[in-house]
Amino acid sequence: MKLFKKILVANRSEIAVRIIRACKELGIKTVAVYSDIERDAMHVRLADEAVCIGPAASSQSYLNIPGILSAAEITDSEAVHPGYGFLSENPHFAEACLTSGITFIGPTSENIRLGGDKAKARQIMKRKGIPVVPGSDGPVVSDEMVVKVVRRIGFPVIVKASAGGGGKGMRIVKEEKDLEQAFHVAQREALTAFGNSELYVEKYVPDMRHVEVQIMADSKGNVIHLGERDCTIQRRHQKLIEESPSPISTDKFRKKIGEYGIKAAKALKYRNVGTIEFIVDMAGDIYFMEVNTRVQVEHPVTEMVTGIDIIKEQIKLAAGLPLEYKQSAIKPSGHSIECRINAEDPERFIPNPGKITFFHPPGGPGVRVDSAAYSGWVVPSQYDSLIAKLIVHGNSRGEAIERMKRSLDEFIIEGIRTTIPFHKKVFNHSDFMNGDFDTGFAEKISRMDVVMDEKG
Amino acid sequence: MEIDDLKELISLLQDTDIAEIQLEKDGTKVKIRRQMLVSSLEMRPKKTPVTVEQTIETEEDVQRLVTITSPIVGTFYRSPSPEASPFVEAGTKVRKGQVICIIEAMKLMNEIESELEGVVVRALVENGQTVEYGEPLFLIEPVS
Repeated sequence: MKLFKKILVANRSEIAVRIIRACKELGIKTVAVYSDIERDAMHVRLADEAVCIGPAASSQSYLNIPGILSAAEITDSEAVHPGYGFLSENPHFAEACLTSGITFIGPTSENIRLGGDKAKARQIMKRKGIPVVPGSDGPVVSDEMVVKVVRRIGFPVIVKASAGGGGKGMRIVKEEKDLEQAFHVAQREALTAFGNSELYVEKYVPDMRHVEVQIMADSKGNVIHLGERDCTIQRRHQKLIEESPSPISTDKFRKKIGEYGIKAAKALKYRNVGTIEFIVDMAGDIYFMEVNTRVQVEHPVTEMVTGIDIIKEQIKLAAGLPLEYKQSAIKPSGHSIECRINAEDPERFIPNPGKITFFHPPGGPGVRVDSAAYSGWVVPSQYDSLIAKLIVHGNSRGEAIERMKRSLDEFIIEGIRTTIPFHKKVFNHSDFMNGDFDTGFAEKISRMDVVMDEKG
Repeated sequence: MEIDDLKELISLLQDTDIAEIQLEKDGTKVKIRRQMLVSSLEMRPKKTPVTVEQTIETEEDVQRLVTITSPIVGTFYRSPSPEASPFVEAGTKVRKGQVICIIEAMKLMNEIESELEGVVVRALVENGQTVEYGEPLFLIEPVS
């Protein structure tokens, strides 16, 4: 089975560059799409062809389904890679590609639909015997139902949008008196953000860890997992630092969570590449949280410990090739950590777009930088603030940490404020070094007043 | 050949419309060519190899004329169908909202309208050429 001749990358910035690089190595021609303010963007420069598809606003450019499909048509692209965000989890886009005779590099539209319905996904997992966070069985549709569920599971609870993500449409409720209001506010927020006010309820597990499993499945239904990633360092439900393996992982833990991941993927009849997210409480118990039906931002840490190129595998699987690896061949080696570097001020994380006057990434053994930034590039204000991912690999977690500290010191980005100083604080903190942290850690660190030397 | 001869040849060129003179005399060959200043349109996008056109508009023209750009990605057609005549030609008077071309995207024919009242100076793309968002399509001389 031949791979594609030409792939259109329906995304921008670092992930578009990532996909273009994988295509180049596979001998596949690439087409970049861009909004009219991104003519000088790196993904446009690196692709073999480029098509301007609309003005700056995402809705008219990177979310413009007709524009993107038309660009694929005029360039004779055989497949589209949606990256992450934007249209990657839009089932209509996946279907539209299918109708247009273009291969969507990712799971089926049915997988995407199910993954996007978090209440339903929970139900399916529960029925398959995968532990889920205690909560409602499906969506909660009335105030009475919420009260009933909450009385069963006990406070504190978290009300979440079924169609949601990114921390929106979520409310933590500690007492019954706050419940009704939180429910209504979350409904409104969900409707505004996602066009869908459906909510479900879960027991809120404070001081938990967020551990996810990378899975891959071929068209015959063979599924393997590539180990786990720990994404506990988050701020307002946005990931900042990820690592693989998880500091709490043992061979036994990995086997258990890996099996849950495979079971979850099979329950959904999942195809191509995806991630199953779990939360792990203080006792070490694993609970299913949600499915991510796309390649994720933090995929590089898994690549570094397994040696497998996840984007290339996505392309091969989309072309109909069978899974190349058996589970027994997947043996993570060493430790990898990623820092997401955003164009935001490092104390309050407020977006800080503008011109990067000087960009000098770190290097040396075990250091990888995934970025579309360069000296002179103007970070646009219209899109998300991620400008670089700094990934390290070491033989042990300790070595990876030292490598990250060195790399953060070498990384120079001038002209805009970035979150590099925040990451330096984390990597100099003993709790992080000990692997002793929960989801409250990042917020705590960002408010810390650590005396840094001038260069920090 | 003497310097004076060359000078005479050069002034001959300058005083006439002759573009190039080649002369052979006494075993010496001389070719003198007038430098033609040609301004070309902005670079075409990478996707379609198209010969660069030579413009005939002056600096003032460019200031005055209005460029209609493509609002979508697709294939540009000058006529409603292959056999029909083009919607507009150089010199055609257009009203605001008048259809000046079609851009086909995903089997749908999108009629593109003029944004102003004026006279078509010329088309900037070829029939059947693929166009991107913002691609210059027509130069229109506005009615003042």
